[in-house]
Amino acid sequence: MKETTPIDEKQINAAPLKSFFVSMLTRDIDLEDSILDLLDNCVDGILRSRPDEGNQPYYGYKAEIRLEKDLFLISDNCGGIPWNLHKYAFRMGRDPERQSDAPGLVGYYGIGMKRAIFKMGRNCSISTKNINHQYQVEITQDWLQDEYTWDLPVKNINWKGKDGTIIKITNLYSNISKQFEENSKKFTANLERIISTHYAIIIEKGFEIKINNQIVVPRTTKLVFDSHQLEQTGIRPFIFKTITSDNVDVFLAVGFWRPPPSENEINEEKESTKYSSMDAGWTIVCNDRVVVFCDRSELTGWGEAGVPRFHNQFIAISGVVEFRSKDPGKLPTKTTKRGLDSSAPIYLQVKNKMREGMKIFTDYTNKWKGREDESKKQISKGENLPLREIRQKSEKLSMNTTSRTVIPGEQYRPNLPKPELPESTARRISFVKENIKIKKVAAYFGDSSLDPSDVGEKCFDLVYQEAK
Amino acid sequence: MAGPSYHMRINKAADRFSLIEIIKRLPKLKNNLDEYTYYGFGGPFLEDMRLIYEFYPEIRMISFEEIRKVFLRQKFHIPCGPEQLTLENCNVTNFIDNLESTDEKSIFWLDYTDLDLICFTDFEKLLNKLSQGSVIKITIRADPRDYWIIPKNIENRRQKSRMIENFRRIFGEYLPRPSAVPSWKSEDFAYLLQEMMQIVVQNSLSADITNLTFYPISSFYYSDSTWMFSITGIIWPRTDFEAVEDAFKDWEFKNLVWNRPIHIDIPNLSTKERLHLQKHLPRERPRGPVLRAEMGHLIDEDIIRTEYALEQYAAFHRYFPYFLRGIP
Ligand SMILES: Nc1ncnc2c1ncn2[C@@H]1O[C@H](COP(=O)(O)OP(=O)(O)O)[C@@H](O)[C@H]1O
Ligand SMILES: [Mg+2]
Repeated sequence: MKETTPIDEKQINAAPLKSFFVSMLTRDIDLEDSILDLLDNCVDGILRSRPDEGNQPYYGYKAEIRLEKDLFLISDNCGGIPWNLHKYAFRMGRDPERQSDAPGLVGYYGIGMKRAIFKMGRNCSISTKNINHQYQVEITQDWLQDEYTWDLPVKNINWKGKDGTIIKITNLYSNISKQFEENSKKFTANLERIISTHYAIIIEKGFEIKINNQIVVPRTTKLVFDSHQLEQTGIRPFIFKTITSDNVDVFLAVGFWRPPPSENEINEEKESTKYSSMDAGWTIVCNDRVVVFCDRSELTGWGEAGVPRFHNQFIAISGVVEFRSKDPGKLPTKTTKRGLDSSAPIYLQVKNKMREGMKIFTDYTNKWKGREDESKKQISKGENLPLREIRQKSEKLSMNTTSRTVIPGEQYRPNLPKPELPESTARRISFVKENIKIKKVAAYFGDSSLDPSDVGEKCFDLVYQEAK
Repeated sequence: MAGPSYHMRINKAADRFSLIEIIKRLPKLKNNLDEYTYYGFGGPFLEDMRLIYEFYPEIRMISFEEIRKVFLRQKFHIPCGPEQLTLENCNVTNFIDNLESTDEKSIFWLDYTDLDLICFTDFEKLLNKLSQGSVIKITIRADPRDYWIIPKNIENRRQKSRMIENFRRIFGEYLPRPSAVPSWKSEDFAYLLQEMMQIVVQNSLSADITNLTFYPISSFYYSDSTWMFSITGIIWPRTDFEAVEDAFKDWEFKNLVWNRPIHIDIPNLSTKERLHLQKHLPRERPRGPVLRAEMGHLIDEDIIRTEYALEQYAAFHRYFPYFLRGIP
């Protein structure tokens, strides 16, 4: 047996490696999402400097993003990073000592900003002014490669203009630079699409976002609301609202954003391969941030518990749920990444209501199938309203209060028009014939441009006259 | 087909001729023309086939035509023997779907008459299958009137917002901005379609997966009663832009960096007028005033328009087709 060598050390190094952090942190997040994290910080900045809730709490605040071959820059006037936060703001992860600084902030885990920087490039300066401090923190390639130093240099600067922050990242990684240069059209289009949906509500409430000097126009869901004779039948959304015992404010509305498509329209859509149903599906909003946009899967109750799976015939149905809380921990969001926590109890409770509401509109669609002309007429009596206005309208509706159901709250169940024919005595007939033949028969009826379904119906009526 | 008869589309004829000019410069990129196959929708008269055969008899040609009647008419107009030109009675989308990727060089002209999603998806698929040195020309309808009605009343306004919604729904994934709408100005509409084509290129030949890209060579918009947009480019290594620049630097109508499309608007001149102007061409810009003086009369409403028209004529005069009474 060989003799063993005794060890001298009393301790061994278990410190994390900076390079490990940097690469792990950035690996499982998309570039677009990490840019959204930076916008989230701007919004947190606004809430910190101006916590009052008005109709347009973000009015006057803006963020500008610039994407160039070797530059990512985001500048904002959202209040800056308070100097008293410097002990936390630049560290990776949340210091347990740190107190929540303002109600309603989404930032919690202390990684968004750093992750975005490390994802994009090797050099970065963060300049900021908050009330009476104006300073700049710099991250360099040398710092990134040095496994031992965790301190960052900071210095006073002269800041002009309103309190705000500029994050400037250079020495970009080549995969990032490619997105900003060679793929720039595609990348900016996609980024703008994501921002226009995910920040739609915040932009509508006054925040201005520019990408390479182009203002981002918000894209919100607008549901058809027939304001005439509210006690009568009419196309209106299903509405549910409540404040949970945890003090989370919930508002849900689901309905039509357009008339249901006719069979012909559906067939046409099938032919174009990459058809996107645009505004169909569920959008879920937590503290004004959209976490799910136009989802049409089980995540939002499609194809579950009696609700049919999403299919092109349902492209007219769209819904929104808004969750709001002063304590972001109570919201059904994922921990470190953007997205819905679909197993959060509050979400599962609300999902019942989502399915309940959605079912009303899938039923309507099925009942009026083949008579889309009539449903088109019914829908054109209403107008498309944004959620904010639907909220106002809901004050005038007679809501039904429940207190002993899975999720207590108030709800409005619209009384949608029903087809006159009782369903059970009528059946649908459909068949396929060659186009030229249909045209021929249509011409026989005096109009070769007749809709195929009309041609079929006329044939039936004709024969029925004989058979009667 | 609506609009003036095929032969009378002078702006389209110039666009077609621009392809001849592009092909002429391909050897500068170390491509032998006899390595190429030309694929196109020849139309009933196989006009582009006739032209290519006239200039570059070494290029093999394949024409696809979906409509049986037109296909039979093409057989009648075939300008050369079957070794040189194959006529296929098939749909272009199917043709592209069934096309095998090869190292052989191709020149494709996707000459659509409408504006459909399929134009973009066909182009996207084709970009992925063709080899370095291949040329693609794609022509699509770009008529603002398809999307623009003056919103006089509520019904109009509704109809208009439906049309725009429809446009966004169909083309959403290729729009450079989600809020983009078709402009009522043909130039802006054409540029929007060009930006959409650029996104197709960045999707299909994304910088993070390949060093091949599609460098545009020319882009035009014109109307022979219907507005059209037409862009031509080459599949080439991204890192070798200089070679492309070099090959086309002498060509007046090049557009190598996705600049705004160039307007083709050739005036309708009589043969006599043209023969008269020909004597004073080519010459340096601006040519409108000089040619107007030479002509001695106005060919459009006023001086400004006449000079614009003559400038256009001077630019494209070599691409101007002759319609002569001849022996059939
Ligand atoms: N542009 C900004 N304006 C105001 N505050 C900011 C800005 N960017 C970052 N901050 C603040 O810096 C801190 C660190 O940000 P971040 O790394 O995203 O962690 P988190 O937001 O999870 O706390 C946060 O307190 C954040 O609010
Ligand atoms: Mg944050």
